[in-house]
Amino acid sequence: MLCERCRQREANVRFTEVINGVKTEHMLCMQCAMDMDLGSVGIFGGENPIGKIISGILGANMETAKKVESLNQISCPTCGMAYSEFVNDSRFGCPDCYNVFDILINDNIKQLQGNTRHIGKKPRFGWKTDSEPAERIDTTEGELALLESKLAEAIAEEEYEQAAKLRDEIKRIKGGLADA
Amino acid sequence: MLKWYEKTEGQHDVFVAQRIRLVRNIEHCNFPEKMSAQESRDLLEKMKQEFSDIRSVSDIEYDYYDIDSMDARSKSMLYERRIINKALMEKSEPAGILLAQDEASGIVMNGDDHIKLFEHSCSEALDELWAKADVLDDYINSHFSYAYSEKYGYLTAFPTNVGTGMKASVIMHLPLLSGSRQFKTLFNEMGRFGITLKNVYAENGENFGSLYEISNQKTLGQTEEDIVEVVTKMANQLADSERKLRSVALRNHRVNIEDEVYKSYGVLKYARKLTVKEAMTYLSHVRKGVLDGLISTEKPVNIFGIMMEIQSANLLGSHNSESEEPDALRAEYVRKHLPNLI
Repeated sequence: MLCERCRQREANVRFTEVINGVKTEHMLCMQCAMDMDLGSVGIFGGENPIGKIISGILGANMETAKKVESLNQISCPTCGMAYSEFVNDSRFGCPDCYNVFDILINDNIKQLQGNTRHIGKKPRFGWKTDSEPAERIDTTEGELALLESKLAEAIAEEEYEQAAKLRDEIKRIKGGLADA
Repeated sequence: MLKWYEKTEGQHDVFVAQRIRLVRNIEHCNFPEKMSAQESRDLLEKMKQEFSDIRSVSDIEYDYYDIDSMDARSKSMLYERRIINKALMEKSEPAGILLAQDEASGIVMNGDDHIKLFEHSCSEALDELWAKADVLDDYINSHFSYAYSEKYGYLTAFPTNVGTGMKASVIMHLPLLSGSRQFKTLFNEMGRFGITLKNVYAENGENFGSLYEISNQKTLGQTEEDIVEVVTKMANQLADSERKLRSVALRNHRVNIEDEVYKSYGVLKYARKLTVKEAMTYLSHVRKGVLDGLISTEKPVNIFGIMMEIQSANLLGSHNSESEEPDALRAEYVRKHLPNLI
Protein backbone atom coordinates (compact mmCIF):
# COMPACT_ATOMS: atom_id res chain seq x y z
CA MET A 1 0.00 0.00 0.00
CA LEU A 2 1.29 3.45 -0.91
CA CYS A 3 1.49 6.33 1.49
CA GLU A 4 -1.65 8.51 1.26
CA ARG A 5 0.33 11.70 1.35
CA CYS A 6 3.31 11.27 -0.97
CA ARG A 7 1.94 8.33 -2.97
CA GLN A 8 5.51 7.24 -3.55
CA ARG A 9 6.73 5.30 -0.56
CA GLU A 10 5.32 2.21 1.05
CA ALA A 11 2.95 3.06 3.91
CA ASN A 12 3.99 1.52 7.17
CA VAL A 13 2.48 3.81 9.77
CA ARG A 14 -1.15 3.76 10.73
CA PHE A 15 -2.15 7.15 12.09
CA THR A 16 -5.51 7.58 13.76
CA GLU A 17 -6.75 11.13 13.74
CA VAL A 18 -9.65 12.23 15.88
CA ILE A 19 -11.34 15.48 14.86
CA ASN A 20 -14.51 16.50 16.67
CA GLY A 21 -15.02 12.95 17.78
CA VAL A 22 -14.76 11.57 14.24
CA LYS A 23 -12.05 8.96 13.87
CA THR A 24 -10.18 8.81 10.56
CA GLU A 25 -7.44 6.35 9.78
CA HIS A 26 -4.51 7.28 7.57
CA MET A 27 -1.80 5.07 6.17
CA LEU A 28 1.44 6.97 5.84
CA CYS A 29 5.09 6.32 5.23
CA MET A 30 7.41 7.13 8.09
CA GLN A 31 8.92 10.07 6.23
CA CYS A 32 5.53 11.75 5.79
CA ALA A 33 4.60 10.96 9.37
CA MET A 34 7.75 12.81 10.35
CA ASP A 35 7.06 15.72 8.00
CA MET A 36 3.59 16.10 9.47
CA ASP A 37 5.30 16.70 12.78
CA LEU A 38 4.25 13.50 14.35
CA GLY A 39 7.61 14.15 15.86
CA SER A 40 10.89 12.48 16.43
CA VAL A 41 10.62 12.39 20.16
CA GLY A 42 10.53 9.01 21.78
CA ILE A 43 10.22 7.76 25.26
CA PHE A 44 12.19 4.74 26.05
CA GLY A 45 12.00 2.21 28.78
CA GLY A 46 13.51 -1.18 29.06
CA GLU A 47 13.71 -4.17 31.28
CA ASN A 48 16.72 -2.68 33.00
CA PRO A 49 16.96 0.45 35.13
CA ILE A 50 18.90 2.54 32.59
CA GLY A 51 15.95 2.37 30.24
CA LYS A 52 13.61 3.32 33.03
CA ILE A 53 15.72 6.32 33.94
CA ILE A 54 15.73 7.58 30.37
CA SER A 55 12.00 7.01 30.27
CA GLY A 56 11.63 9.01 33.47
CA ILE A 57 13.66 11.95 32.24
CA LEU A 58 11.83 12.22 28.96
CA GLY A 59 8.48 11.59 30.56
CA ALA A 60 8.99 14.56 32.84
CA ASN A 61 9.66 16.94 30.00
CA MET A 62 6.47 18.93 29.50
CA GLU A 63 7.53 20.29 26.12
CA THR A 64 7.49 16.83 24.67
CA ALA A 65 4.06 16.04 26.04
CA LYS A 66 2.23 17.50 23.07
CA LYS A 67 4.31 15.68 20.51
CA VAL A 68 3.98 12.48 22.46
CA GLU A 69 0.22 12.80 22.28
CA SER A 70 0.27 12.65 18.50
CA LEU A 71 2.91 9.95 18.47
CA ASN A 72 0.79 7.79 20.70
CA GLN A 73 -1.69 7.33 17.89
CA ILE A 74 0.79 5.64 15.59
CA SER A 75 0.38 1.90 15.65
CA CYS A 76 1.98 -1.11 14.02
CA PRO A 77 -0.27 -2.61 11.31
CA THR A 78 1.08 -6.14 11.92
CA CYS A 79 0.48 -6.60 15.63
CA GLY A 80 -1.63 -3.52 16.35
CA MET A 81 0.68 -2.22 19.02
CA ALA A 82 0.32 1.53 19.56
CA TYR A 83 3.33 3.69 20.25
CA SER A 84 1.82 4.62 23.62
CA GLU A 85 1.80 0.92 24.56
CA PHE A 86 5.46 0.70 23.69
CA VAL A 87 6.19 3.74 25.83
CA ASN A 88 4.41 2.13 28.79
CA ASP A 89 5.83 -1.38 28.53
CA SER A 90 9.15 -0.67 26.81
CA ARG A 91 8.57 -3.71 24.69
CA PHE A 92 7.64 -4.32 21.09
CA GLY A 93 4.81 -6.52 19.89
CA CYS A 94 6.37 -8.05 16.78
CA PRO A 95 9.48 -7.85 14.61
CA ASP A 96 7.79 -5.36 12.25
CA CYS A 97 7.50 -2.82 15.08
CA TYR A 98 11.22 -2.14 14.59
CA ASN A 99 10.48 -0.99 11.04
CA VAL A 100 7.34 0.92 11.86
CA PHE A 101 8.81 2.87 14.77
CA ASP A 102 12.33 2.95 13.33
CA ILE A 103 12.76 6.70 12.97
CA LEU A 104 11.04 7.37 16.29
CA ILE A 105 13.23 5.02 18.25
CA ASN A 106 16.53 5.43 16.44
CA ASP A 107 17.90 8.10 18.79
CA ASN A 108 16.66 6.31 21.85
CA ILE A 109 18.23 3.05 20.80
CA LYS A 110 21.46 4.93 20.33
CA GLN A 111 21.13 6.43 23.80
CA LEU A 112 20.32 3.06 25.32
CA GLN A 113 22.75 0.90 23.41
CA GLY A 114 25.40 3.42 22.41
CA ASN A 115 24.95 2.27 18.83
CA THR A 116 22.34 1.76 16.16
CA ARG A 117 23.84 -0.92 13.99
CA HIS A 118 24.31 -4.62 14.55
CA ILE A 119 27.74 -5.96 13.67
CA GLY A 120 27.55 -9.36 15.32
CA LYS A 121 26.49 -12.78 14.19
CA LYS A 122 24.07 -13.17 11.28
CA PRO A 123 21.64 -16.06 11.04
CA ARG A 124 23.34 -18.89 9.17
CA PHE A 125 20.03 -20.19 7.82
CA GLY A 126 17.00 -18.55 6.22
CA TRP A 127 18.45 -15.10 5.81
CA LYS A 128 19.93 -13.48 2.71
CA THR A 129 20.20 -9.74 2.17
CA ASP A 130 19.10 -9.95 -1.47
CA SER A 131 16.04 -12.02 -0.75
CA GLU A 132 14.65 -9.58 1.76
CA PRO A 133 10.90 -9.34 1.52
CA ALA A 134 9.69 -6.21 -0.23
CA GLU A 135 8.03 -4.77 2.86
CA ARG A 136 11.29 -4.46 4.69
CA ILE A 137 12.43 -0.86 4.84
CA ASP A 138 16.00 -1.25 5.99
CA THR A 139 16.95 1.30 3.41
CA THR A 140 20.22 2.60 4.64
CA GLU A 141 22.93 4.01 2.47
CA GLY A 142 25.09 1.01 3.25
CA GLU A 143 22.56 -1.33 1.73
CA LEU A 144 22.18 0.80 -1.37
CA ALA A 145 25.93 0.81 -1.81
CA LEU A 146 25.96 -2.96 -1.41
CA LEU A 147 23.23 -3.42 -4.02
CA GLU A 148 24.97 -1.07 -6.40
CA SER A 149 28.21 -2.95 -6.14
CA LYS A 150 26.32 -6.20 -6.72
CA LEU A 151 24.71 -4.61 -9.79
CA ALA A 152 28.10 -3.63 -11.20
CA GLU A 153 29.31 -7.16 -10.57
CA ALA A 154 26.28 -8.68 -12.30
CA ILE A 155 26.75 -6.45 -15.36
CA ALA A 156 30.45 -7.27 -15.51
CA GLU A 157 29.59 -10.95 -15.48
CA GLU A 158 26.84 -10.43 -18.06
CA GLU A 159 24.14 -11.74 -15.74
CA TYR A 160 21.52 -9.39 -17.05
CA GLU A 161 18.53 -11.02 -15.44
CA GLN A 162 20.08 -10.66 -12.01
CA ALA A 163 21.19 -7.13 -12.90
CA ALA A 164 17.64 -6.16 -13.83
CA LYS A 165 16.38 -7.46 -10.50
CA LEU A 166 19.02 -5.51 -8.64
CA ARG A 167 18.28 -2.38 -10.66
CA ASP A 168 14.58 -2.64 -9.76
CA GLU A 169 15.44 -3.17 -6.12
CA ILE A 170 17.66 -0.09 -6.09
CA LYS A 171 14.95 1.93 -7.80
CA ARG A 172 12.40 0.71 -5.29
CA ILE A 173 14.56 1.64 -2.37
CA LYS A 174 15.26 5.07 -3.79
CA GLY A 175 11.52 5.60 -3.86
CA GLY A 176 10.96 5.35 -7.61
CA LEU A 177 9.08 2.07 -7.49
CA ALA A 178 7.35 1.99 -4.17
CA ASP A 179 5.01 -0.82 -5.04
CA ALA A 180 7.47 -3.08 -6.85
CA MET B 1 22.94 -36.89 37.59
CA LEU B 2 24.81 -34.02 39.18
CA LYS B 3 23.61 -30.56 38.23
CA TRP B 4 26.13 -28.23 36.60
CA TYR B 5 26.48 -26.26 39.83
CA GLU B 6 27.17 -29.36 41.92
CA LYS B 7 30.14 -30.50 39.85
CA THR B 8 33.34 -30.06 41.79
CA GLU B 9 36.00 -30.05 39.09
CA GLY B 10 37.61 -26.92 37.68
CA GLN B 11 36.44 -24.46 40.34
CA HIS B 12 38.16 -21.11 40.68
CA ASP B 13 38.74 -19.01 43.75
CA VAL B 14 36.93 -15.89 42.58
CA PHE B 15 35.01 -17.06 39.51
CA VAL B 16 31.97 -19.02 40.62
CA ALA B 17 29.92 -19.54 37.46
CA GLN B 18 29.68 -18.33 33.88
CA ARG B 19 26.66 -18.02 31.65
CA ILE B 20 25.85 -17.12 28.05
CA ARG B 21 22.24 -16.34 27.16
CA LEU B 22 20.89 -15.64 23.67
CA VAL B 23 17.44 -14.32 22.83
CA ARG B 24 15.83 -15.11 19.47
CA ASN B 25 12.45 -14.72 17.78
CA ILE B 26 10.84 -16.48 14.89
CA GLU B 27 10.27 -14.63 11.63
CA HIS B 28 6.78 -13.38 10.68
CA CYS B 29 5.39 -14.12 14.10
CA ASN B 30 4.26 -11.73 16.83
CA PHE B 31 6.32 -11.74 20.01
CA PRO B 32 4.77 -13.93 22.77
CA GLU B 33 3.14 -10.95 24.52
CA LYS B 34 1.06 -10.27 21.38
CA MET B 35 0.15 -13.89 20.66
CA SER B 36 -3.18 -15.44 21.54
CA ALA B 37 -3.18 -18.48 23.82
CA GLN B 38 -3.92 -20.68 20.82
CA GLU B 39 -1.07 -19.17 18.77
CA SER B 40 1.30 -19.70 21.70
CA ARG B 41 0.16 -23.29 22.09
CA ASP B 42 0.55 -23.99 18.34
CA LEU B 43 4.01 -22.46 18.21
CA LEU B 44 5.08 -24.35 21.32
CA GLU B 45 3.89 -27.64 19.81
CA LYS B 46 5.73 -26.86 16.60
CA MET B 47 8.95 -26.06 18.42
CA LYS B 48 8.67 -29.21 20.51
CA GLN B 49 8.24 -31.26 17.36
CA GLU B 50 11.07 -29.58 15.46
CA PHE B 51 13.47 -29.92 18.37
CA SER B 52 12.83 -33.63 18.85
CA ASP B 53 16.21 -34.36 17.24
CA ILE B 54 18.09 -31.98 19.56
CA ARG B 55 20.32 -34.84 20.65
CA SER B 56 22.04 -34.59 17.28
CA VAL B 57 23.63 -31.29 18.34
CA SER B 58 25.95 -32.38 21.10
CA ASP B 59 24.82 -35.78 22.27
CA ILE B 60 23.32 -34.22 25.38
CA GLU B 61 20.04 -35.60 26.69
CA TYR B 62 17.36 -32.89 26.99
CA ASP B 63 13.98 -33.25 28.71
CA TYR B 64 10.92 -31.20 27.88
CA TYR B 65 8.74 -29.51 30.55
CA ASP B 66 5.57 -27.47 30.21
CA ILE B 67 6.08 -24.36 32.30
CA ASP B 68 2.50 -23.07 32.28
CA SER B 69 1.13 -26.23 33.88
CA MET B 70 3.73 -26.27 36.67
CA ASP B 71 2.79 -25.37 40.23
CA ALA B 72 4.17 -22.18 41.75
CA ARG B 73 6.91 -23.98 43.68
CA SER B 74 8.30 -25.79 40.65
CA LYS B 75 8.43 -22.47 38.83
CA SER B 76 10.22 -20.89 41.80
CA MET B 77 12.72 -23.76 41.72
CA LEU B 78 13.46 -23.06 38.06
CA TYR B 79 13.83 -19.41 38.92
CA GLU B 80 16.25 -20.11 41.78
CA ARG B 81 18.24 -22.39 39.50
CA ARG B 82 18.62 -19.48 37.04
CA ILE B 83 16.58 -21.15 34.29
CA ILE B 84 13.54 -18.88 34.00
CA ASN B 85 13.06 -15.24 34.92
CA LYS B 86 10.49 -13.60 37.20
CA ALA B 87 8.22 -12.65 34.28
CA LEU B 88 7.96 -16.25 33.13
CA MET B 89 7.30 -17.40 36.69
CA GLU B 90 4.15 -15.30 36.70
CA LYS B 91 3.06 -16.05 33.14
CA SER B 92 0.11 -18.36 32.57
CA GLU B 93 0.16 -18.60 28.75
CA PRO B 94 1.70 -21.69 27.09
CA ALA B 95 5.45 -21.82 27.61
CA GLY B 96 7.95 -24.63 27.83
CA ILE B 97 11.54 -25.58 28.27
CA LEU B 98 13.98 -28.10 26.88
CA LEU B 99 16.47 -28.67 29.65
CA ALA B 100 19.67 -30.69 29.62
CA GLN B 101 19.70 -33.25 32.41
CA ASP B 102 22.52 -31.47 34.24
CA GLU B 103 20.65 -28.18 33.61
CA ALA B 104 23.76 -26.62 32.09
CA SER B 105 22.02 -25.97 28.80
CA GLY B 106 18.46 -25.19 27.87
CA ILE B 107 15.99 -23.60 25.49
CA VAL B 108 13.17 -21.61 27.07
CA MET B 109 10.23 -21.24 24.69
CA ASN B 110 7.57 -18.50 24.75
CA GLY B 111 8.98 -16.43 27.58
CA ASP B 112 9.41 -12.72 26.81
CA ASP B 113 10.73 -13.89 23.44
CA HIS B 114 10.06 -17.03 21.43
CA ILE B 115 13.42 -18.50 22.29
CA LYS B 116 15.93 -17.98 25.04
CA LEU B 117 18.84 -20.36 25.06
CA PHE B 118 21.49 -20.56 27.73
CA GLU B 119 24.70 -22.32 28.63
CA HIS B 120 25.89 -22.45 32.25
CA SER B 121 29.13 -23.70 33.75
CA CYS B 122 31.25 -23.45 36.88
CA SER B 123 34.45 -24.46 35.08
CA GLU B 124 34.18 -23.32 31.46
CA ALA B 125 35.02 -19.75 30.48
CA LEU B 126 32.66 -17.41 28.64
CA ASP B 127 34.31 -17.97 25.25
CA GLU B 128 33.82 -21.74 25.57
CA LEU B 129 30.19 -21.23 26.54
CA TRP B 130 29.66 -18.84 23.64
CA ALA B 131 31.02 -21.50 21.26
CA LYS B 132 28.45 -23.96 22.63
CA ALA B 133 25.61 -21.44 22.50
CA ASP B 134 26.58 -20.60 18.91
CA VAL B 135 26.17 -24.26 17.92
CA LEU B 136 22.82 -24.57 19.69
CA ASP B 137 21.71 -21.30 18.07
CA ASP B 138 22.54 -22.66 14.59
CA TYR B 139 20.65 -25.83 15.37
CA ILE B 140 17.52 -23.84 16.28
CA ASN B 141 18.03 -21.61 13.25
CA SER B 142 18.20 -24.67 10.97
CA HIS B 143 14.60 -25.37 12.03
CA PHE B 144 13.23 -21.81 12.23
CA SER B 145 14.09 -18.62 10.35
CA TYR B 146 14.77 -15.82 12.79
CA ALA B 147 13.35 -12.32 12.98
CA TYR B 148 16.42 -10.38 11.96
CA SER B 149 17.21 -7.04 10.37
CA GLU B 150 20.48 -5.95 8.78
CA LYS B 151 20.33 -2.80 10.87
CA TYR B 152 19.19 -3.94 14.30
CA GLY B 153 20.33 -7.57 14.17
CA TYR B 154 18.22 -10.12 16.07
CA LEU B 155 14.89 -8.50 16.85
CA THR B 156 13.72 -8.94 20.42
CA ALA B 157 10.68 -7.95 22.44
CA PHE B 158 12.77 -5.63 24.62
CA PRO B 159 15.01 -3.14 22.80
CA THR B 160 17.51 -3.70 25.62
CA ASN B 161 18.31 -7.09 24.04
CA VAL B 162 18.25 -6.16 20.35
CA GLY B 163 21.33 -6.83 18.21
CA THR B 164 23.20 -9.86 19.44
CA GLY B 165 20.48 -10.75 21.96
CA MET B 166 23.38 -11.84 24.09
CA LYS B 167 24.04 -11.58 27.77
CA ALA B 168 27.38 -12.84 28.99
CA SER B 169 27.62 -13.01 32.75
CA VAL B 170 30.01 -14.13 35.42
CA ILE B 171 29.13 -14.80 39.05
CA MET B 172 32.01 -13.78 41.25
CA HIS B 173 32.77 -14.35 44.91
CA LEU B 174 34.08 -11.07 46.26
CA PRO B 175 34.02 -11.17 50.06
CA LEU B 176 36.93 -8.79 50.56
CA LEU B 177 36.50 -6.47 47.62
CA SER B 178 32.80 -5.91 48.31
CA GLY B 179 33.65 -4.76 51.83
CA SER B 180 36.37 -2.38 50.69
CA ARG B 181 36.22 1.33 49.99
CA GLN B 182 37.29 0.91 46.35
CA PHE B 183 34.24 -1.22 45.54
CA LYS B 184 32.00 1.72 44.77
CA THR B 185 34.60 3.30 42.49
CA LEU B 186 35.03 0.05 40.58
CA PHE B 187 31.29 -0.27 40.37
CA ASN B 188 31.01 3.15 38.69
CA GLU B 189 33.94 2.51 36.38
CA MET B 190 32.32 -0.62 35.07
CA GLY B 191 29.24 1.33 34.05
CA ARG B 192 31.39 3.31 31.65
CA PHE B 193 32.34 0.11 29.85
CA GLY B 194 28.71 -0.92 29.56
CA ILE B 195 28.99 -3.51 32.31
CA THR B 196 26.49 -3.94 35.12
CA LEU B 197 27.03 -5.49 38.48
CA LYS B 198 24.30 -6.87 40.70
CA ASN B 199 23.80 -8.92 43.81
CA VAL B 200 23.16 -12.62 43.22
CA TYR B 201 21.46 -13.18 46.58
CA ALA B 202 20.12 -10.21 48.45
CA GLU B 203 17.22 -9.11 50.55
CA ASN B 204 16.28 -5.46 50.96
CA GLY B 205 19.51 -4.48 49.26
CA GLU B 206 21.67 -6.47 51.68
CA ASN B 207 23.94 -8.96 49.92
CA PHE B 208 24.14 -12.51 51.31
CA GLY B 209 27.18 -14.61 50.51
CA SER B 210 29.23 -11.91 48.72
CA LEU B 211 28.26 -13.24 45.29
CA TYR B 212 28.03 -10.65 42.53
CA GLU B 213 27.08 -11.06 38.91
CA ILE B 214 28.68 -8.94 36.22
CA SER B 215 27.27 -8.82 32.73
CA ASN B 216 27.13 -6.71 29.57
CA GLN B 217 24.48 -4.05 29.51
CA LYS B 218 24.61 -3.33 25.79
CA THR B 219 23.74 -5.80 23.09
CA LEU B 220 23.96 -3.71 19.91
CA GLY B 221 27.00 -2.57 17.94
CA GLN B 222 29.42 -5.08 19.38
CA THR B 223 30.20 -8.57 18.16
CA GLU B 224 29.55 -11.51 20.44
CA GLU B 225 33.31 -11.97 20.76
CA ASP B 226 33.70 -8.31 21.84
CA ILE B 227 31.06 -8.77 24.51
CA VAL B 228 32.70 -11.93 25.81
CA GLU B 229 36.05 -10.17 25.84
CA VAL B 230 34.94 -7.06 27.68
CA VAL B 231 33.02 -9.00 30.35
CA THR B 232 35.96 -11.39 30.79
CA LYS B 233 38.40 -8.48 31.09
CA MET B 234 36.25 -6.79 33.72
CA ALA B 235 35.85 -10.03 35.61
CA ASN B 236 39.62 -10.53 35.56
CA GLN B 237 40.15 -7.03 36.86
CA LEU B 238 37.74 -7.62 39.74
CA ALA B 239 39.38 -10.97 40.43
CA ASP B 240 42.83 -9.38 40.56
CA SER B 241 41.64 -6.76 43.05
CA GLU B 242 39.95 -9.42 45.19
CA ARG B 243 43.07 -11.61 45.18
CA LYS B 244 45.33 -8.72 46.13
CA LEU B 245 43.12 -7.87 49.09
CA ARG B 246 43.00 -11.50 50.14
CA SER B 247 46.75 -11.93 50.09
CA VAL B 248 47.26 -8.75 52.10
CA ALA B 249 44.61 -9.85 54.59
CA LEU B 250 46.17 -13.31 54.89
CA ARG B 251 49.58 -11.80 55.47
CA ASN B 252 48.42 -9.38 58.13
CA HIS B 253 45.47 -11.12 59.80
CA ARG B 254 45.92 -14.83 59.13
CA VAL B 255 44.72 -15.97 62.55
CA ASN B 256 41.60 -13.83 62.38
CA ILE B 257 40.74 -15.16 58.93
CA GLU B 258 41.35 -18.78 59.91
CA ASP B 259 39.20 -18.19 62.98
CA GLU B 260 36.36 -16.86 60.84
CA VAL B 261 36.60 -19.82 58.45
CA TYR B 262 36.71 -22.48 61.19
CA LYS B 263 33.96 -20.84 63.26
CA SER B 264 31.74 -20.66 60.20
CA TYR B 265 32.45 -24.29 59.38
CA GLY B 266 31.59 -25.23 62.98
CA VAL B 267 28.28 -23.42 62.89
CA LEU B 268 27.34 -24.95 59.53
CA LYS B 269 28.31 -28.43 60.67
CA TYR B 270 26.46 -28.35 64.00
CA ALA B 271 23.64 -25.82 63.82
CA ARG B 272 20.10 -27.21 63.98
CA LYS B 273 18.51 -24.20 62.33
CA LEU B 274 19.90 -21.86 59.68
CA THR B 275 18.23 -18.89 58.02
CA VAL B 276 19.16 -18.14 54.39
CA LYS B 277 21.21 -15.17 55.54
CA GLU B 278 23.13 -17.18 58.18
CA ALA B 279 23.78 -20.09 55.84
CA MET B 280 24.92 -17.85 52.98
CA THR B 281 27.23 -15.79 55.20
CA TYR B 282 28.95 -18.84 56.73
CA LEU B 283 29.10 -20.71 53.43
CA SER B 284 30.81 -17.67 51.91
CA HIS B 285 33.49 -17.80 54.64
CA VAL B 286 33.95 -21.54 54.16
CA ARG B 287 34.20 -21.18 50.38
CA LYS B 288 36.96 -18.65 50.85
CA GLY B 289 38.74 -21.00 53.30
CA VAL B 290 38.51 -24.04 51.04
CA LEU B 291 39.64 -22.31 47.83
CA ASP B 292 42.40 -20.35 49.60
CA GLY B 293 43.68 -23.64 51.02
CA LEU B 294 43.11 -22.67 54.66
CA ILE B 295 41.04 -25.79 55.28
CA SER B 296 40.76 -29.05 53.37
CA THR B 297 37.77 -31.29 53.09
CA GLU B 298 37.70 -35.09 52.85
CA LYS B 299 36.18 -34.92 49.41
CA PRO B 300 35.84 -32.06 46.94
CA VAL B 301 32.86 -29.76 47.44
CA ASN B 302 31.18 -27.06 45.38
CA ILE B 303 29.97 -24.55 47.97
CA PHE B 304 28.03 -22.66 45.30
CA GLY B 305 26.04 -25.85 44.72
CA ILE B 306 25.03 -25.89 48.38
CA MET B 307 24.13 -22.20 48.16
CA MET B 308 21.84 -22.93 45.20
CA GLU B 309 20.15 -25.88 46.89
CA ILE B 310 19.35 -24.17 50.20
CA GLN B 311 17.24 -21.40 48.65
CA SER B 312 13.69 -21.74 49.91
CA ALA B 313 11.87 -23.27 46.93
CA ASN B 314 14.66 -25.71 46.04
CA LEU B 315 14.98 -26.81 49.64
CA LEU B 316 11.28 -27.42 50.19
CA GLY B 317 10.81 -28.77 46.67
CA SER B 318 13.51 -31.40 46.91
CA HIS B 319 12.28 -32.52 50.35
CA ASN B 320 8.71 -32.38 49.18
CA SER B 321 7.80 -31.07 52.56
CA GLU B 322 5.30 -28.50 53.78
CA SER B 323 5.32 -29.30 57.46
CA GLU B 324 8.97 -29.10 58.34
CA GLU B 325 10.49 -25.80 59.25
CA PRO B 326 12.64 -24.48 56.38
CA ASP B 327 15.43 -23.32 58.69
CA ALA B 328 15.71 -26.79 60.23
CA LEU B 329 15.65 -28.44 56.80
CA ARG B 330 18.33 -26.05 55.62
CA ALA B 331 20.60 -26.87 58.57
CA GLU B 332 20.07 -30.56 57.95
CA TYR B 333 20.89 -30.20 54.25
CA VAL B 334 24.09 -28.27 54.96
CA ARG B 335 25.21 -30.76 57.66
CA LYS B 336 24.73 -33.58 55.23
CA HIS B 337 26.42 -32.01 52.24
CA LEU B 338 29.36 -30.24 53.84
CA PRO B 339 32.21 -32.79 53.84
CA ASN B 340 34.29 -33.42 56.95
CA LEU B 341 37.61 -31.65 57.38
CA ILE B 342 40.93 -33.43 57.22
